[in-house]
This record gives sequence, structure tokens and C-alpha cells, in this order.
Amino acid sequence: MKITYNWLKQYIDLSDISKQELADVLTKAGHEVESFEDQAYGTNLVIGHVLSCQKHPNADNLHICQVDVGTDTRQIICGAPNVAEGQKVIVALPGCKLVSGEIKPSIVRGEISNGMICSLSELNVDKKLLTEQQLAGIEVLADDAEVGNSNVLKYLGLDDTIYEISLTPNRADCLSIWALAKDIGAVLNKEVNLPNYSYKVKKSKTDLIIHSETEKAPYFIGTIINNLTIKESPKWLKNALIAVGIKAINNVVDISNYVMLETGQPLHFYDLAKIPAKEITVKMGLDEIYTALDGQQYHVLEDDLMITTENRAIGYAGIMGGEDSKIDESTKGIIIEAAHFNMVNVRNTSRRLGLFTEAATRFSKGIDPLAAQIATERSIQLLIELAEAENIEETVIFGDTGYKPTIIEASVTKINSLLGTHFEYIDMFNVFKALDFKPEKKDEDKIITYIPSYRTDIELWQDLSEEVIRILGYENIVSTLPKMPTTQAKYAENGKSRRIINAMLNGYGFNEVVTYSLVSQANIDAGILSIGTPVRISNAMGEDRRFYRTSLLPSLLDCVSYNIARDNYEYALFETANVYSDEGKERLHLSLAISEKTTYSKWQNVYGNNDFYSVKGIILNILEKLGYEKKRIFFKPLSNGKKLLHPNKAADIYLGKNLIGYMGHIHPLAKNNYAINESVIAEINLDAVFAEKPSKIKFEKIARYPAVNYDLALVVEEKVTAEQIISTIKKAGGSLLDLIEIFDVYRGKGIEKGYKSVAVSISYRSSDKTLSENDIIPIHKQVLEQLSDKLDAVLRD
Amino acid sequence: MTQKWEELKKEIVAKIESANDLNSIENIRIELLGKKGLINGLMAQMKDVPKQEKKDYGMAVNSLKQLTESLIAKKTTDLKEKEMLKQLHEDKIDITLPANRGKYGTLHPLTVVQQEIEDIFIGMGYAVVEGPEVELDLYNFEKANIPPDHPSRDMQDTFYVDVHRLLRTQTTAIQMRVLEDEHDMLPIKVVCPGKVYRKDDDDATHSHQFVQVEGLVVGENITVGDLKGSLELLARSMFGSGREIRLRQSYFPFTEPSIEIDVSCHICGGSGCPTCKNTGWIEILGAGMVHPRVLEMAGINSEKYTGFAFGVGVERVAMLKYGVDDIRHFYANNIKFLDTYKRFE
Repeated sequence: MKITYNWLKQYIDLSDISKQELADVLTKAGHEVESFEDQAYGTNLVIGHVLSCQKHPNADNLHICQVDVGTDTRQIICGAPNVAEGQKVIVALPGCKLVSGEIKPSIVRGEISNGMICSLSELNVDKKLLTEQQLAGIEVLADDAEVGNSNVLKYLGLDDTIYEISLTPNRADCLSIWALAKDIGAVLNKEVNLPNYSYKVKKSKTDLIIHSETEKAPYFIGTIINNLTIKESPKWLKNALIAVGIKAINNVVDISNYVMLETGQPLHFYDLAKIPAKEITVKMGLDEIYTALDGQQYHVLEDDLMITTENRAIGYAGIMGGEDSKIDESTKGIIIEAAHFNMVNVRNTSRRLGLFTEAATRFSKGIDPLAAQIATERSIQLLIELAEAENIEETVIFGDTGYKPTIIEASVTKINSLLGTHFEYIDMFNVFKALDFKPEKKDEDKIITYIPSYRTDIELWQDLSEEVIRILGYENIVSTLPKMPTTQAKYAENGKSRRIINAMLNGYGFNEVVTYSLVSQANIDAGILSIGTPVRISNAMGEDRRFYRTSLLPSLLDCVSYNIARDNYEYALFETANVYSDEGKERLHLSLAISEKTTYSKWQNVYGNNDFYSVKGIILNILEKLGYEKKRIFFKPLSNGKKLLHPNKAADIYLGKNLIGYMGHIHPLAKNNYAINESVIAEINLDAVFAEKPSKIKFEKIARYPAVNYDLALVVEEKVTAEQIISTIKKAGGSLLDLIEIFDVYRGKGIEKGYKSVAVSISYRSSDKTLSENDIIPIHKQVLEQLSDKLDAVLRD
Repeated sequence: MTQKWEELKKEIVAKIESANDLNSIENIRIELLGKKGLINGLMAQMKDVPKQEKKDYGMAVNSLKQLTESLIAKKTTDLKEKEMLKQLHEDKIDITLPANRGKYGTLHPLTVVQQEIEDIFIGMGYAVVEGPEVELDLYNFEKANIPPDHPSRDMQDTFYVDVHRLLRTQTTAIQMRVLEDEHDMLPIKVVCPGKVYRKDDDDATHSHQFVQVEGLVVGENITVGDLKGSLELLARSMFGSGREIRLRQSYFPFTEPSIEIDVSCHICGGSGCPTCKNTGWIEILGAGMVHPRVLEMAGINSEKYTGFAFGVGVERVAMLKYGVDDIRHFYANNIKFLDTYKRFE
């Protein structure tokens, strides 16, 4: 909201408070000043009189003016279409600083120009507040403007400073400038003098009927004024409204706005002649198209609060009045509305319609329950004063404000102990007094406070503690640390394991990424290891971010694609993040992707070649580090890689009996779809990993006796797997078998097509003795026989 | 006679001295000490020496032999050393050529900052607790003293799944779960990190997804002073030991009093610069004393126990710390950006 320095100055003596200090005080008190700015800017301005005005001989659009500026008469070239002889104008003398720069004497198309005749927008006045005429040309002043007056901004009523304040939701009361002034007075510890709004008029009986059919409009007061005069508002009123960004229209409308700004109570004035039945009823919902006073048509819905007369809508309650009962030049009398409307209804309707009027803002945030009466009285006073209001009828009151006074007992000890301060009884008492909480002493420790109606945010003694520290200043708080029993620090669940995974992947050269959780349908469809039906956002920002993802790899591949498009061809990326299902499941997943090539040293020609086996190694090492023995980890033929994984260069990963993920080379189609290079990718369900118990570490005796080694080259069919060979050897070799290692796989010359040669090194060892030939030969024979029987393996010569 | 030995000795010394590589010293060794060498030759002549001179002759040959042996040994060592030096010289490499450097990956800057904050509080005995991102309205709003239709729901535009479920807008939701779970196991001392979501259009300073870390302490006699002291420690650990903090009045539905906390600018030290918009202060934390109603809803006696809570935006801290100018960098994950965070700071 906007307030101005001059407006506050009417209520509080600010003579010793600079504009910057006022901003600081407001911010400190919780009313954060987002910016403050002078309403208009320009030095060295003076009021001038255009003595003559002729067309410039060398330019169609320019005029040569002789202007009396009090001290002398000077020639000024002016390009404004509306400049004319006899006008009183604003002159920027050479040396004048404007937002656009400094004015200097110059020669324009061969003619001397000794200053500039200004428009208001050149003085940096907010363009929104200017009429089209004002925007199109120079500002023409009243004929009685005093030539030579150099206090032009003051003359224009544009010498104010405007503060843009961000009010917190609990302090909607400060949407009333009177309430805000009281708050500032308390912070500055200064007296606040608000206008006296009494008037002396005898009111006549009324036949106005007011009724509400809904508890959403529990209180409504109306007043008929039979005669008044519509005219332009006085300058002070217009300036006050313009300064805070409200357009001045006419005296009556301006008064309704002005009083709303003062009291926080939105008012609506209806043209009396347009409500001949003198009957107003508030209803919930009407089935009709309604034209509001902005000229737009709106369709009324059932939760909309409507002001009606004779069953016909004349206003969206608390938001905007109707076109056909609005105040215009022909208005002779009015009905004043001051009411309570349900904040939620007003908020929902104004949001739906996109009508965030000053009234709607105030009702949506909550108003002072007692302000309606005050606002009515204040507006009557001003109408009498500024619109010759006469023939005023008695105010009709429907319903009840529902206001119950809040009385809170404050304990000085308790407040000090919550704040960690040592304020004296009298300090707190004075704070409450300054805030107009009418404090009373109960005993040496307790103060009874009576909370003003507009401070609906104050309900508990803790709220009073906030008032105390806010007014006395947070700088009084001394830093301490909690004195309490020792507590045990803990990582998040599995937090330590996650840090290990991060550190290992970093060691392997992987960068961690963080991508968006909300994704498109296509991303959901591409996922593997998906947790289930995706969580769907009902009010998503767009289809791109409709679902909470169920798998991480698609986002990671998008990320790879983004990097490839930026010439980052080598990558190793990973992400750990949660996935969710609509059924309420949550899982922590890990995704990773690595390019085929990693450059280690170009000039030495050393490159990493990343393939299925290197990523298999990384996964094995991580799982082992997390506590799972290698023998518990299995890689099985891929069961479901969708279109992300190459069906024959990828695997299911098992920990014990549980599928924990997928890994392998990217599917050539996916490679094309994401426009990326050859990549090895994986997605792992970390919660499935953490659910398994880590293996215990057991001491094993170091072998004392030597091993006997055999190297075999076995020719087998292509379909025979390394694992089949190893497990066949293991079974046949029995307890003496110590190590089996595959050290070569060969295809080509000397090996028939469809076959491969697998070289295996086998070592036998006993823990009790040195093995002799006699011990080994029968076992080794059995190994060879089994390889031949089970796998048709032939020893290569 | 003595004359003759002296000359012979000189001859041997000169010979050995003349050797300039291991080959020639070996040849000299054979020539002097070999089976058919000079020394053995002298020994063989012993039989021709008159008896009374035999003893002197023998001693002279022996001493000559010892001298020769030691000179050759020393010369050999010297020559070996020389050759080694030569070899080493020839081995010289250009140490300025680039390393064969396996790339070390990086933690994401948001993780770096989050862990840094977690670790500061772990050091003070806090437990780290996480919670669901798809959350119930109950924990995200209602238990945090934000009933339906509360105006402050307007402060945070929320992604809803249905009437009851939403994407959490604040890690306060985790705190509400902790309060409920541990209301009978006081004191509570936790930090709650996590992703949160708000319906904001993404631009340089807004992101519909971001990371918060909130902290919560509940016990007996917890004061605003304790809050200030704890956050002073946080500010100094994150931004340097010279940092000061400043408390300002604010509003959050779940705290009373509610406080905004500014840290003195780590760039200019408080004298004013573009980072702090010339104010000397940077707004960084929201905090306050846990609202009595929040405590009561969790089943905690608010007259006996008090507590403080605070929250910090991880992106904001990372942007300030590293000078990142656009929040979207964190989610674009350009490798060149990520590689910046190779070092700890």
C-alpha cells in the first residue's frame, strides 16, 4: 500500500524525522518500506507566462515563445502542440535537473532556446495519474498562478514523498491510514492527532429499508442524503488521492475513496434516483449477467455476494458497484453503504473476476469491525463540507457487528522470559499506552490491556510480547544459546549412506545435478523403474509440469541433452531425489548417465572408455561400500528397459532377491530422441537397497600355503555366458577352488563363427597343506569334464 | 728402493685417476689387481728378493694393494654416481605439460550449502529430519496455524493434488510432523531440509521449486535471545566470523513474535554495495517463537514450553555466497556451471 509523508504529517509532528528516517522506522516496526520516491522531480523550476507564441520558421512542429519568468523574459523553443500565448506554464531554467538530464541553453534549428516548458511527465509524475491531454502536451496552469514562483512542485501539490509499504497479512488494519498513523506514533513515541469528524446537522426520519439474506453480510448500515452538489474536488483532496495512486473523479466519489483510505472501511455511494424503491437487499448469487461500473459484464455465480434492489443487482458486494447506479454529474442524492462482507467470499469472487479493487483488497484481508459507523459519519461530515450535502436522513442499521472486545492480561515476567529481556513494568505499560491499548495496572506484575477493535491480530499475551519488542526495539535482545539437556545429533534417515554415494560418484567424476520434480506426461511415459501412478497436480502451471515424476532418468537425459546442445559432449551426471506415487508411496531413487568417452590426457592419448562393464563396476563398488558383499549382487538379463535401455546391452540389478534397478547402454532410439551421444545409464531404487541389511565384516585367515594355477582357453558357443562357465567350474572344483578369473574373450581367426574362446585362470588352494599333483589332477579333470558335458566347451589347442 | 715404490704409487694413482667411465675403471682394476695384474706380478717377484728385505718388500706390496683397492673402490663409486647423474639428467621431463587428470565430480551447489547448514547444526546437537514433498494440507497449513481461508495462504501459491494433498510450500510441514511425533519427548532440536514448491513463474529470482532448511527448538525457557544467539552462529559459520545480525518485526502465522533476520553484508562488510542494495544488510532468514496455538495443536503445553523456529532459502544463500545471478542456473545443470563447485569454500 501507499502512504505519503505529507499525509502522515497532518497527524504526527514529523519535523525532526527525515524521509529516510521515516522509511527506517516503518520497516523496523514491521511495515516494510519497499521503496520511497518523490512524487515529482525537478530543480530550478519557475512559473512562467507565455507572452507570445509563434511558429518556428524552420520547423513545422516547433514554436518560438517569449516567456516571462519573473526575473526576465526569455526565448524558449517549445514542441508541445498545446502551447499558446497567454498561458501560465512550468519553466525549467538552464541548470535545472530533471530525471532525463540537465537543461542547457541551446540553439534549435537556428533559434536560441533558454529553458524548457515542461509537461508533468517530464517532472517524473506517474503517467498512470495523468490524463491523455496532460500526457500529450505541456501542463497549463491556472490563470492566477504567480509568475516567478519558484516553488513549483508545492504549487502543483506534487511536493510529497510516496512510500510503498508491504503490509504483513496480520496488519491489514494499517490499510487504514489512521491506524497506521497510530502505529507510527507509538514507534516514534509521539502524539497522534486524527481529524475530528463531528458535524451539526439534524437528521430526518428515513424510509430506507436494508436487509441481508445471508450471514455472509451480517452488518450493513445505510444513509440517505437527499441533496448534494457534484463538482470537482478541492485541490488538497485531489492531490491526496493522486499521491496514493487513486484517480480523482468528482467530490462525492473522491470522498468515498478518501474516507476508505482514512478508516480502512470501504464505502459505496449509490445514486439515490436509481434506487427508487429505497430498498437494498444483500443476496448470495443471482443468475444474471451484471454490468459493473467499469462497464464490463460479469456472470454472477452462486457464491458471489450481491447488492440488490427490487431483486436486481446493483453491486458486487465489497468489490465494485453497478454501472446503472453510479454517481455522475446528474446525481442529486445518494445512499451511503458501509457494511461487513465475508472476507472469503469477497476474496474468491474478486480473484475469479480479476477485480482487485481497493475495496476488495480491504474486505479480503479483514476490516475493523467498528469502522463502518465511523466511516459513515466522516463521509457525511465531508459531504456537508465539500458537496453541500443537505436533507440527511437517519442511518439505518441492519444486523450486528459481532464485535467482542478483547481484554488480555499481560504478565511482565512472562513476556520478559519469552523475549529473554529485562524490561521494566513501566516500559511495557508505556508501550501499551502508546498503542492505545488503555493499560490498567492489576498488580506489580500484571497489566490489563483493552485491545482496540482494529487490532484483530492481537488475541494472546504472546501477541503483546511482540508489540513490546517491536516498539522497544529488537536491539534490546541479548544473544544467548538454549540452556537445555544434551540432545543427540543425527543425520537424516540414510543421510550418511547418501553422502557416501555422493562422495563415491564424485570420485568417479560424476557431477551431481538437481532437476525439477514436476514433469510432462511424456517424461512420465519414458520413465523406467517407475513407482506407480503419478501424482497429478490439479492446478499445474502448464502441461510441462503436470505430474510429480515417478522415475528420474528422463529428467537426467533432458539434462544430458541440454549439455550436448551446449557442446559439453563428455559428461558423467547423477541425481538422487524422491519419486512419489498417487497411492502415497515415496522412494529415493538414484539416476546416472555417463558418456562413452572421458578424456584424461589428450597429449598422452589417454581416454576412459565407459561401457556397460565400467558402470557395472561403479555400481558394484558403491553397493559394496554401502555394506553389501559382491556375492549378494546380481546382474540379470534386462526384463523391462522400455525404450530407454538397449535390450541386449543392459541388465536388471538385483540385491539378493530384490530388483533394485536397471543399467546399461542407452537404446539407439532414445539416443536419437534426446539428441545425445552414446551413453551408459542407470536408475536405482535406493530405498530398496537401504532396506537390505548390510553384510557383517568377518576376519578371514590369510592363506599360508601356495596356490596351484591353471590357465584354460575354452571354445564355447556364443550363447554360453561367463557366469555359466564360472558357476560350472565352481561346482566341479569344490572346496579346493580358490579363484576363477576370466582374462580374455576372443573371437576371430582360428575360432569358428558363432563360437568364442574364453580364457580362464583357475587356482586351487588348501588352507591345511601344500597341494600335490595327486590332490589336484582328479578335481581338475572333473572340472574339464563338466565344462564339456554342461557347456560343450572344448579346450583350444 | 723407497724411491721406486713412490714412483709406482704415483703411477697407480694417476692411472686410476685417468679412468673416466665404469668400463675403463674395470679394465684398470684387472690390469692392477687381476690374476695377472701388476700387484700379483710384484707378489710373484717376492721369491727373488733377498731374505732380509723380504719383510719390507711384502709390506710395501701389501700397502700398495690396499691403496689400489681403496682408490679403485672410491673411483668406481664416483663414476657410478656420475653416470647416475648423467642418466638422471637425460631423464628430465617437462613438468609443465598438463596432468593426466581423472575428473573429480562435484556436489551440486544446493547440496553443498544444505550440507553446510546441516553440519553447523549437527555440531550443536540437532537431528536432521526430512518429510514428504507430497504433503497433507493438515501439516503444510492447518497445523501451522493457517486454517482454510487464512489470508496468508495467499502469500504462497500452492500446487494442489486434491482437497487434502498438495506439494509442500514450506518445510514447516516437516516441523509440524516432528512436533506431533515428539510432543511427549521434549526437548526437540531439529533441522529440516527439503524441496518445496510454489506456483511461481520461473525467472531470474523466482523458481517454482526451491530448497529450504528450517530449524526448530522446543523446550523449557527458550527465548528470543536463544534464537538470536543460535542464528548468529549460523550467520558467522556461513558468511564469516565478522558478521552481525539484525532482527526486524515480521509476520508468519506459526510464530509469535515473528522476526525477519538480516545479516551484515559479507561483500562490503556493511558499508553498502550492490549486493546489499547499499543498505549494508542482507535479508536472509525468517524466524520467530513457535506460536502457542501451534504448540497446543501438537499437544504441547504452551505455558510450560516455548520454542523458536527459523527458515532459510538455500538458493538465496548459494546465490549470495557464490554471486550467482540467476536462480535457473541451479536447475539447468550446465556442466560448466557445476564444475565451478569443485572446491569447498
